[in-house]
Order: sequence, then C-alpha cells, then structure tokens
Amino acid sequence: MTDLADPGLYSAGIPHSVFADLRSQPGLHRNEGPVDFWSVTRLADLVEVSRDTATYSSEVGHIQIYDIDEDALDARASMIDLDPPVHTVLRRLVSSAFTPRHVQGYRQAIRDRVIACLDRLEAARGGDWVDLVAAPIPIGVICDLMGVPEADHGYMIELSDHLVAGTSSEPLSPDAYGNTTELRLLPFNSPAAHGISEYARQLGDKRRAQPADDLISELIAAEVDGERLTDEQFANFFRLMIFAGNETTRSAMAHLALHLTQFPAEFDRVRHDGELLAGAAEEVIRYSSPILYFRRTATREVELSGTTIAAGEKVVMWYAAANFDDATFDEPLRFDVGRPKQPANVAFGGGGAHFCLGASLARLELEILIDEILERGLRLELDGEPTYVDSNFVNGIEHLPVRVM
Amino acid sequence: MAVRVQVNAEVCMGIGQCEMLEPDVFELDDDGIAHVAEGATVTEERAQELIARCPSGAITIASP
Repeated sequence: MTDLADPGLYSAGIPHSVFADLRSQPGLHRNEGPVDFWSVTRLADLVEVSRDTATYSSEVGHIQIYDIDEDALDARASMIDLDPPVHTVLRRLVSSAFTPRHVQGYRQAIRDRVIACLDRLEAARGGDWVDLVAAPIPIGVICDLMGVPEADHGYMIELSDHLVAGTSSEPLSPDAYGNTTELRLLPFNSPAAHGISEYARQLGDKRRAQPADDLISELIAAEVDGERLTDEQFANFFRLMIFAGNETTRSAMAHLALHLTQFPAEFDRVRHDGELLAGAAEEVIRYSSPILYFRRTATREVELSGTTIAAGEKVVMWYAAANFDDATFDEPLRFDVGRPKQPANVAFGGGGAHFCLGASLARLELEILIDEILERGLRLELDGEPTYVDSNFVNGIEHLPVRVM
Repeated sequence: MAVRVQVNAEVCMGIGQCEMLEPDVFELDDDGIAHVAEGATVTEERAQELIARCPSGAITIASP
C-alpha cells in the first residue's frame, strides 16, 4: 500500500526508495489510499504532462490532490490555476520582471541581504538557519520587488507560513486575521489567505493613490482587454507571488545548509572553480525539489506510458520523484555540482505554460548565497535534527539548528 | 549550417532563457514575448540547444 497523499510519507524529506520503486514499475501508479489519482514519477512522462495544457488542465479540478468546490476554485483563481489563453494574458503582466536579464538588476540588493543575514548568523556563532538565513532572504527579495515595506516583511513570513501549515492538520482559528470568509473558499483553506488579501487591498489602495516603482503599482495600473484587474484578481496575484517567491526559495536555502554539511567536498570544488557556481545552485534546487508535486486533470481520455487515463481523472506530477530518475540523471542520489546543464531538472516544472515564473530569481538568490558562504569560508555543522514541514506538497524545513565552526 | 529560428507567440511565456543565451538573436519586448532579430541566424547545433532549453517549448527552426 502506497498512499502518496499521506503527509507522513514526507516527514523526513523525499521518500527516495518509494519513488524509485514506482519509477521502475510500468505505466503510472494508481494511488492506494482514500483519494484516487495517477502518479507520474518518471521525468519523460512528467515533461509530456507538463507541456500539454490542453489535455492536462490546471483549471479543471484543482492543482492540489484534493478537489474543491467550483465556487472555491473561482474565488482563489490566479494564473497558477488557469489554462491558456487566460493564464497567458495574466502571466505576461508580470513576466518581464523575472527574466534572467532583468533579475540581474536585483543582484546588489540580494547580496546586501545575504551579507546582513550571514553576518547575524556568524555573530551569534549559529542558530536556526531557517529563521536567520533561509526565511528572511527570499521574503526580503520578493517584498522589495513587489513593493512591500521592510517593516511588514515579518508579517508576510508569518502569513506565508500559515498558508503552508494550512495543508496540514493543525488549522488556525477560522476567524484569525479578522477572517469572515468560509474557509473552503480560501487558498489552502487558511484564514491566513484572508490576511494576505486584506493586506494586498490596503497596499494596493496606497499605490493607487501614489504609484511607486514596484510590481504592485504595475499590477494596479495593468489592463487586461481594456479592464483593470478586479480587487480579487489583484489580491490573488499578490498572494501567489508572496507565497511562491517565499516558501520555495526558502526551502532550497534551508536544504543548502544540509548539503553544505553532507557534501563539503562538492562545495570545495566550487570554491576552487567559480565556473561551477551555477551548477551548484542548480544541484541544490534539484536535490531539494522544494515543490513535491502539482496536479493536473485530464480533459479527455489519453494514454501515457501504457496507462489509459480517463477524462476527469487526476494526474499528479511528482517533481521530487522525476528529479531522481536514473533514466535521466547519472547516479541521481549523488550530489554533483558538475552535472551537465541538459537535461534540466524539473524542480521549476517540466516546461510549458506553468514553468516557474521566478526560476531565474531563485537561481540568482541561491548563487549569491552560495558564493558569499564560500567567499567568507563559512563552515557549518548541524546542532540538532531538521524539522520538516508536515505536508505532502512542499519539501520544506521548519527549523534547522546549526553551529558556525 | 546556419539556420533561422522562430518563436511561437502563442506559446512563449516570456521566461527569457533565449535572450540570456543569445542576446543578439532574441529580445523580449514590452509584450512579454521573445522576438527574433531580423536576419539573425545560429548554427543548427545551437538551435537544437535553444529549442531544448526553452521552458515554454516555443522555439522552432524556421523553414528556409
């Protein structure tokens, strides 16, 4: 019995042996548990699903394993749960801020944040790597980009944390953050989503009155088919950016601390050959696979890898499985900063319409963090066991105590 | 052999990989879509790499 929806399966990170077993079996795996879905675990299959948005929809059903009601889908819709052509129009409102060329402009601001965080960690000779380094850097960067004032960054971390906690079994009080909306209508069924929407509305009002050079001001002014975004569309956009820009990069940065302690020789290679820096960042991303899966729903009967998927059935792409597919990666469990650029890992998605918008930004943030760590010769050792986020959706680390050696 | 590449505007997500790899060939415009500079060519090998590395799957070799 393998119930891949059970969050307990991920309580110590990616269940590599379970995924290896599923990859070796012919066809797709039909889930054995209370919820029915097909699991895609091989990289080639995952890419096929990812790139065919007409057959594998993000808009029909839900992009997470459990279905939600139609009105709840409508209430939370942002580009991540829409298909082309609507998805395309929304995505193009923000895509130019995230291109490899454009994100180079954030390099110095990112480095400043990295330096400040590592200084604090070194001064304290250690502490919780997540609280001191992995959490504040990405939220700081995405908030700068969006135009959220520094004083509110902590509040954004708090809300984003609750969103992920909303995927586990310990919910907040339904009226937390002044929420009055039915929980089932909120993303992750979390009142924290209301908190973010409310914050977005207030900040949007401020920028409407006084535009600034930030993404919020651009979104407020943006028009789709001659219409401004509705308050709800704007709030959903904001929430998606805060969550996606925060949680995932934080997770990769948390895993980086583990990798530094587990594979020091690989980082020595980078220290001696700066050309390997991008490869090191990419390997951290592959090895951590911060998002475990996204789901699609078949819009028609389709055959994949010898399995017939019926229209309406759920298809779950396990990035964390495909990133260790030995048909694609030589010795996948080996952490290797020198892997070839191609074939690419699928931590940012298997390509197509929903490929991670923030991929270039995340890569840059990680490169700068690794570079700065190596530059100052920072050596870490674990000062306790990592605590993983209780979730079947994100491979997050809540706490990671480290000592500076 | 030098070939011309083209971008499917319906499929391009404006991720900008191509612009980073070949800044003289591709440019992302205000419409958020990659455009190919007029008359620009790349080797066939490079074209295959660009095709493989476009996350949107929007690049193809233009027929001569």
